[in-house]
Amino acid sequence: MKRRITFIQSVNASFDPEQAVLTTSSLSVRDIDAAREDRITVGLDELPEELRAVLEQSHELHLRWASERSFDAVVPFSSRVSPGLHVHYTPLGSESSSEALCTLLRTIVAPSKDAQYKNCSKQEDAFITPPLLSTRFGSSAALQYYTRLPSIQPLVKYIHNTVCDQSRTGGRECHTRADALLSADSVDIDYDSTSHALTVSGLWASSPTGGWTDKFQRPASADDQVEFGLLGAEAGLEPEEIKMGGLLAVVGEDEKLKPTMFSFPSRHQSLTEPSSYTVSFASPTGLHPTMSISMPRSSLKRPTAPDDTTCGLHTYLTLPSVIFGDQYQLATTDPLFLESHNLLALQALAGEMDLEAPDWVVQRWGSNWLFELATPPELEETANTPDSSNWTATIPLHLRYLPPSETGHRTAYIPWPVVFWACTSEDSTKMSVNPFDRTHLGWDSLFGPRTLFYQLQPTGDRLVEEIDVPVLRLEGEEGYFQGKYIELGTCAVISLGFIWVLWRLARVAWSSGVGSKPVETAHDKKE
Amino acid sequence: MAIFDSPARVFLAATALRLIFLVYGGWQDAHSTVKYTDIDYMVFTDAARYVAKGESPYTRDTYRYTPLLAWMLLPTAWEGATPWSTLTFAFGKALFALSDVLAGWLVVQLLVRCYQFPVERALRYVSAVWLWNPMVANISTRGSSEGLLGVLVAALLWATLTKKPVLAGLILGLAVHFKIYPFIYGVSILWWWDAERDGSVTTGSGLLSKALGFITPSRVKFTVAALASFVALNLVMYLQHGQPFLHHTFFHHLTRIDHRHNFSPYSTLLYLSAAGGAETRFEALAFLPQLILVVVALPLVLAKKSLTTTMLAQTFTFVTFNKVCTSQYFLWYLILLPFYLPSSSLIRKPALGISAAILWIAGQALWLHQGYNLEFLGLSSFVPGLFLAGLFFFAVNVWILGIIVRDGGDGAGEITTALK
Repeated sequence: MKRRITFIQSVNASFDPEQAVLTTSSLSVRDIDAAREDRITVGLDELPEELRAVLEQSHELHLRWASERSFDAVVPFSSRVSPGLHVHYTPLGSESSSEALCTLLRTIVAPSKDAQYKNCSKQEDAFITPPLLSTRFGSSAALQYYTRLPSIQPLVKYIHNTVCDQSRTGGRECHTRADALLSADSVDIDYDSTSHALTVSGLWASSPTGGWTDKFQRPASADDQVEFGLLGAEAGLEPEEIKMGGLLAVVGEDEKLKPTMFSFPSRHQSLTEPSSYTVSFASPTGLHPTMSISMPRSSLKRPTAPDDTTCGLHTYLTLPSVIFGDQYQLATTDPLFLESHNLLALQALAGEMDLEAPDWVVQRWGSNWLFELATPPELEETANTPDSSNWTATIPLHLRYLPPSETGHRTAYIPWPVVFWACTSEDSTKMSVNPFDRTHLGWDSLFGPRTLFYQLQPTGDRLVEEIDVPVLRLEGEEGYFQGKYIELGTCAVISLGFIWVLWRLARVAWSSGVGSKPVETAHDKKE
Repeated sequence: MAIFDSPARVFLAATALRLIFLVYGGWQDAHSTVKYTDIDYMVFTDAARYVAKGESPYTRDTYRYTPLLAWMLLPTAWEGATPWSTLTFAFGKALFALSDVLAGWLVVQLLVRCYQFPVERALRYVSAVWLWNPMVANISTRGSSEGLLGVLVAALLWATLTKKPVLAGLILGLAVHFKIYPFIYGVSILWWWDAERDGSVTTGSGLLSKALGFITPSRVKFTVAALASFVALNLVMYLQHGQPFLHHTFFHHLTRIDHRHNFSPYSTLLYLSAAGGAETRFEALAFLPQLILVVVALPLVLAKKSLTTTMLAQTFTFVTFNKVCTSQYFLWYLILLPFYLPSSSLIRKPALGISAAILWIAGQALWLHQGYNLEFLGLSSFVPGLFLAGLFFFAVNVWILGIIVRDGGDGAGEITTALK
């Protein structure tokens, strides 16, 4: 087992050497104001049987979870996914299709009865196939799944019940560390069959009140390792590089914290100027909500990427099955449509595209959409008044019918999309040397391997939109709105209508038969 | 009015109306984000593009039509520079609009030849209902294929009333292949076409001779021709496109859920039962009242009295009692109105006619208001709003249907003199 703890301090954060004390057996930190990443790498043989069974069938399995809270992503952890749980999975054999992964998913999501959770018994049911834009890079998993997950409580409980029970490091520390994940802003879990190791990373974008105070013991076993880093990051010499400097130590091996300075190319970069966006749905949403992504115009300066790169502003939507886009409407090249929505093009789409099916018929979890957004025309530098208005891109969407409810409404939860600049270069930079590299985010594999990403910051209390979906109102035994009234009412009215027409026909047949000579006088007096 | 003295002027005006719509539609498509062109037309032309590339038209989602339609629209897939591509894109719309005018011409011919209408009177009615009806011109120039159905039904009537059983059968087979519902006309035409209309007189009155008397040469020719064209077309399409053809053209209509709100009185019930909330399976029997009326009762009682009124009543019943009903379905009976209206009690008694029109429009307006509340305001108007509005609209339609049936019994819309 290998553990890596990284604290990232901002440039202007204060640091006193007293705050990090290394002894031969442990390292203590006190009141550190920093972002933090904890990464634990566990060998397959150290895992409980149940989990191992799932992983042994996997070629690769990557889970990405992000909190619904808004958080500042700091370099080098600046990449983002929409809030919720994303699963990227490639089974080992093409024919292998077991229920194990679905069972595991259900355990770590533990959906409530009302949640619009797309259950699966086998992964083909609910998973979608990502667009294969870049198979040659091998950066995209074969199957993908998403579900809303406001809290990872069930995952922590699962770790308590299975992993901690078996852990050699002893129950208590394992429990504490698992509980710590509850406050994490994002959690990554990675496995691939070449390394045969499972990596769990938690990211806390900011420190708790008063800073981080913690103690890291030297591992009990010689096979285990605890690495520690207290670093700061800044832009590198090259635009695609990040430079980091600070103190490093391997707990139990090093005698003192070693000052260090290194730089590396990174696919995820930060924008030099503050940039933000908000997502909303114009009210009333009806059955055809339109998603609006608003950005202050000042946020939309092209990133300081290398000159030979081409940059585009993109958004990547993760839409649960209840809401969907019409691929034929959105893939249009009609400039009028695109201009009116501030879109440039629909670049990629995957997943459930059915335009007619109600939600309860749809088995797959939903769909992903990558749009390139238009940016405002470059304003002359001499413009005397800075334009403070927002730049808004809109995406027309549609709702599926949901099952009836007692109130006549159901809530759909739509995670905010991620918005980012993607700058592609022909350069042959190798990004994987980055010790903090992050891939399998869903959208990254839709670009070439040399692409640099610059995330815009979502700003809001909660990065999930709630939409009120009108549904058929059905009450219990007491209410006016009952299914049986609809059934009886329809049946009665149709029957009456049917009998009325038959009666009319019978009167015609009675007075003039079914032959061809109508009796002229029969009805005159009745009319 | 002098214009009705000249068929040429009436048809020129009808064509001009459609041309104006076509040009205006092209302009609106190019200058507004609200498109004039119907979404279905994008489906047809996408499908035609697939066919042009040698692929199946069913590659396009929601293409639920015969491949014939995509083939007919092949010119829309021709690539070209800007003015040229605008013209080729409009090819299908022009074709549909032309079919409209042709359908109108056929109806005028029939009114004059078989119904002994003065030309001027025939033109007046057909213009009011069809040729100059902006709704008809609008729908076909937006690219909805319903206009094709109009010409097929008019041609079917023309072939029938001018006693061409083989041609009538061939047209019926094609029409059913195109859109299933015209099969209902087959029953009426068969019952209508008795020995008397064939010009021979039945001999004997025993049960056996009556049964044998039913089998007239025209009925046999009509049936065989209809089956032959229907089977041949489907066979060709099946060999070309296999299972997807059968699925999308026919089976889809049997298996679709139809849970979305529409004018049908069944729509709330279907939503309820599709979501698993219904205790009975009443909707599984929905085809019974519809088919009993359309296939048995209406043809049997009315067809020999007035074929066109029967066909109108059948279409009206089919649409009213159907499990799905959208506004394009209302076009289906429009082409048959010029035969019925002139002698109907709706015209003879203006109070009745105006009441029927007001109630029908009120039914639509009530429903549309609830539909707007749901679709755009997001109000949960399924019950009682849409549910009651749907039932009310149904009741209005059934009442009007009763009037049509009574008029049909009185011989409204019947041929006054046999054709020489």
